[in-house]
Order: sequence, then C-alpha cells, then structure tokens
Amino acid sequence: MQFTSGIVEQAVEALSSFPGIGKRTALRLVMYLLKRPEMEVAHLADALLKLKTELHLCEVCGNVSDHKRCHVCVNPNRSEEVICVVEDFSDLMAIESTAQFKGKYHVLGGLISPMDGVGPDDLNIASLLGRLENSLVGEVMMALSATVEGDTTMFYLAKKLKPMGVTITCIARGIAVGGEIEYADEVTLGRSIAQRTEYLL
Amino acid sequence: MYLQRLQLFNFKNHSQRSLEFCDGINTLTGANGVGKTNILDAVHYLANAKSYFNGIDSQIIEHDKTFFTVKGQFEGELPAEILIQFEGGKKTIKKNDKAYPRLLDHIGMIQTVFITPYDIDLVLGNSEDRRRFVDLSLCQIDKAYLQNLSTYKKALEQRNALLKTMQGRYIDPDLLSSYDAKLIPAGILIHQRRKEFIEHILTFFTTVYQNLSSGSETPSIQYDSPLNNGDFATLLADTHRIDMAAQRTSVGIHKDDLIFGLGEFPLKKYGSQGQIKSFIIALKLAQYNYFQAVTKNHPILLLDDIFEKIDEERAQRLIDMVGASGYGQILITDTHSSRVETHFQPIDANKLHHHL
Ligand SMILES: Nc1ncnc2c1ncn2[C@@H]1O[C@H](COP(=O)(O)OP(=O)(O)O)[C@@H](O)[C@H]1O
Ligand SMILES: [Mg+2]
Ligand SMILES: [Zn+2]
Repeated sequence: MQFTSGIVEQAVEALSSFPGIGKRTALRLVMYLLKRPEMEVAHLADALLKLKTELHLCEVCGNVSDHKRCHVCVNPNRSEEVICVVEDFSDLMAIESTAQFKGKYHVLGGLISPMDGVGPDDLNIASLLGRLENSLVGEVMMALSATVEGDTTMFYLAKKLKPMGVTITCIARGIAVGGEIEYADEVTLGRSIAQRTEYLL
Repeated sequence: MYLQRLQLFNFKNHSQRSLEFCDGINTLTGANGVGKTNILDAVHYLANAKSYFNGIDSQIIEHDKTFFTVKGQFEGELPAEILIQFEGGKKTIKKNDKAYPRLLDHIGMIQTVFITPYDIDLVLGNSEDRRRFVDLSLCQIDKAYLQNLSTYKKALEQRNALLKTMQGRYIDPDLLSSYDAKLIPAGILIHQRRKEFIEHILTFFTTVYQNLSSGSETPSIQYDSPLNNGDFATLLADTHRIDMAAQRTSVGIHKDDLIFGLGEFPLKKYGSQGQIKSFIIALKLAQYNYFQAVTKNHPILLLDDIFEKIDEERAQRLIDMVGASGYGQILITDTHSSRVETHFQPIDANKLHHHL
C-alpha cells in the first residue's frame, strides 16, 4: 500500500494490528472515521483509552470491573457457597446470560499452555486457593473449554483443590440443543451416555 | 463410492484443471513434471484432508497464489460433492456446500491407498514413516482412533513444551501428570488398535508377499512399542525424572515402530531391492484389503509410476491381485501411454485415459 499521508498510514498500521483486520479493512475503517464528526471519534478514542486507564480487574475474582470489586462479588444475593471457574470474562458473560448460576466466579485469565508460554503462575490460581481458606465455599465448579488445554487445566486445578476439602465439579458436556445424535462425534456421545441423568417428569 | 470428477485450483502446479474419471481403471499419462503425481495427491487430499507428501498446506498452494481448492464429485450409494479450500492459513471442508464443524468429521468418508516410488521410506526411513503408514490405515476407518490420535499429539506437544521451557528444572508433578491424564487413555487406545491392525493384516500380507516374490522366505512385521512392556500410566510416572532431564517425553506410542524382517534377518539391512519393493507392495495391498474388509467397499487405489519404478512384472501381478475381488476405482500414472495400454488391454473393466 502506497500512502500519501503519514497520519493515514499510522492509523492504518494501528488498526491492522487487530486480530482479523488486514490493511485493506483498516483503510476502509480509516475512511469511515474521516467522514464521522470529530465528537464521535473523540468518544471512540476515549472509550478505548479507558480500557487501559479506568478498567479494573476485580481484586477478588479477576473479572473486569469499573470498581475494585465487580458487581457479582459485591452482590449480597449471590451465594458464597459455589465458585464457578472460567477462562476469561467473556465466558463469565456467557454463563451470566443463562441466568442459571447463582454463585460467584473466579476468572483464571487464560488456560495453562506451555506452548504459548502460559504456566500456572501466569494465571489467577493462587488467589483461587486463597479464597477457599476459611470460607463458606463448598463447591468449585469448573467451566472450561473441552480442549486439551481446558482439560489439563481442570486436572491441575482439581489436584490443587482436592486437599482443601471442597466438592469439585465440571459442567456436563453433551449433545448441543437442536443437535442430532447421528451427527454428534463419538467422544461427545460417549460422554453423554456415561454422564446420563435421571429423566424427571 | 468413486470419484467422478476432480477440479483443482492452484493445487501445486495445477492452476486450473478439471478431470473426469470412471468407476474402473483410469490412466494418466504425460511427460515427467506435468503434474501426474500431484493429481493423485489431490485425490488423497480429498480423502484425508492433507497431502500424502507434504504436511505443510501453504506449500501446496501454487507458487505466487494465495489459496488452493480441491473439489471432488463422488458417485455411488451416497453421492456427495466435497470441497476443500485452504486460504490465509485456514482450511475448510464442505460436503454438499455445508461446512463441517471440524475437519476430522470428514475423514473416513473416502478411503485411499497410495502406492508411490517414495514409499521406499517405509523401509529405509525412520520410525515416523512407519507410524504414518499405520495411522493412515486406521484414521481412514476409525473415528475414535483419529480423535484420540489428535488429542494425544496435542497433549504431547504441550507436555514437551513444558519440559523444554523448564530446561531440566524440577516440575510440579501435578502439572506434569495433568498431561499424563490426557496421554494415558488416548495412548492405550491407540496402542490397542495398532496392535490389532498388525495382527489383522499379517496373514494376508504374508500371502501377498510370497505371491510377489519368487523366494520362499517368510516376511515378518513386529509391532514394537514401549506400551508392550507395561502399563502406560506406570511407565509415564516412572519416567518423570528422566523426562525432566531429557526435556522431552521418553515413553509413549510416539516411540512405536514396525520391525520388518525376512526370515531371521532385518529387511532394511539384508533385503534386496526387489524384496523391499515386494514388501512395500504387500503392505499396501494389505491396507487395501483391510479397508475393504472394514467398509465392504473398494478403496480408491492410487498407483504412481509403478511400471517404471517397481518393474513391470511385479506391477502386473499387483494389478492382477487387486482385481481378484473385482476392480474398484484405480488411478494410475505413467510416462508411456503404450505401456499402460498393453498392461490393461486384457482386463475387462471400465477404462478411461487422460494424456496431460
Ligand atoms: N506449490 C507448487 N506450486 C507450483 N508448482 C509446484 C508446486 N509443488 C510442486 N510443483 C511442481 O509440480 C511438478 C511436479 O509434478 P508431479 O506431479 O511430480 O509431476 P509428474 O508426476 O507428472 O512427473 C514440478 O515441476 C514441481 O515444481
Ligand atoms: Mg510423478
Ligand atoms: Zn469479582
């Protein structure tokens, strides 16, 4: 790409560093922004900057928050007895939108993956173990991806949680709603059979 | 099931190519370098979602292009159009215009058996080449095997990365065993299936070998695996310290090998060129027979340069043996049109010839 303006070039370079955005798309975004009112662009810049200057990670659970503690942690109606462990805050949001979970969360901030240079010390694991000491927590529910990284992280966590005397659970993995059994892969189907539940009328 | 039409875009040296095939014997002739082997590889790609020769998909793209596609129209009981596309580091597979959620969901729909001059590596190459043969035999008919192999490879890669980053320092056994917990069930299943596979093909393989070679020696295949010597979980736990020092995983099915012999002698050291060629063809026909036994269908047979590189007499016997149960679909390449014609003239089957 041949630029005639250093400022445009800088903006294109910056935008194309986003995942999934190439130079061409970045240029389209720049052209779009140039047409918008200054206020709107300032607002965008401000919103982006705040992500770094004002956003907190909740000091208890690691969730993103506008305050020192997130809205789940300060909510007195949430049960202290169950902690749900998730990989990152987008998974937390997904579980929140099911409205099925009334306990609290713990956000790991990733999964153990030596290939990507992520070890247990790079994740919020020590703080999870700390939360369990002298607490009301009776169950830790692990809701991590069904990948090699998710499974090995769960195994490692379970090893560390076991001596603390809490019940350790992981969310069931089964056939997708609307999915036909015929199309389910063998592993999922096998696990669904092994972990079948009583049919309640 | 047979491949009725193959369409390639930017696949190796084929910018754009469309070919029709019959359910029978298809001959592809042309000078060296026109891309005959590449066409067979494209058919292998349709079945296995990867090249037989080169695991790096970006190198399959024709030079100076940004993507490639392989499209195959299959006819038979369940006609289907398969489209595989590779672009921007991402591979997608569509069956009848609908994308599979995972690539491995596609594998197993079509079986291919490839015989090429490069197969000499099965004997002369390292253990990886032999594991690849076994994996290719099992992945094409056994989803659980494929899935467990993929899990095993991923967990092994992570475990080795961990051992490497720690550079010999002490590793929390809980962390190391979190990988063992994935490796153990997958490894045990893979070991079991590999063992059954070798046991299953042995008799047929021996018969074919003796048919192909004039000698009376008995060929042997021994499945060598660390898992033959004990319980995988114990083996892994016992080698934690060794692994930390070595910075890689020292036991597991990734160390498996096949030991080929003739009589009492190792094939690699003592086999003549002819004996080695017969051994390889016998292995491939055993694979063909295995697919046929499991699927009750003929796999697609891809024969690359067999008259030139294997010698005509052995190649003729190979074709006769394949035809013993009726001819399925065969794609065969040669530099000389007249040579293939002579060999196939007496055979009563559908035939189609392309000169590239
Ligand atoms: N990615 C690629 N892009 C362009 N050409 C390629 C690519 N990979 C291989 N080739 C070319 O394909 C040709 C070999 O084709 P091949 O199928 O082996 O020919 P044949 O079997 O007819 O002798 C070679 O000229 C090689 O350079
Ligand atoms: Mg060739
Ligand atoms: Zn919180």
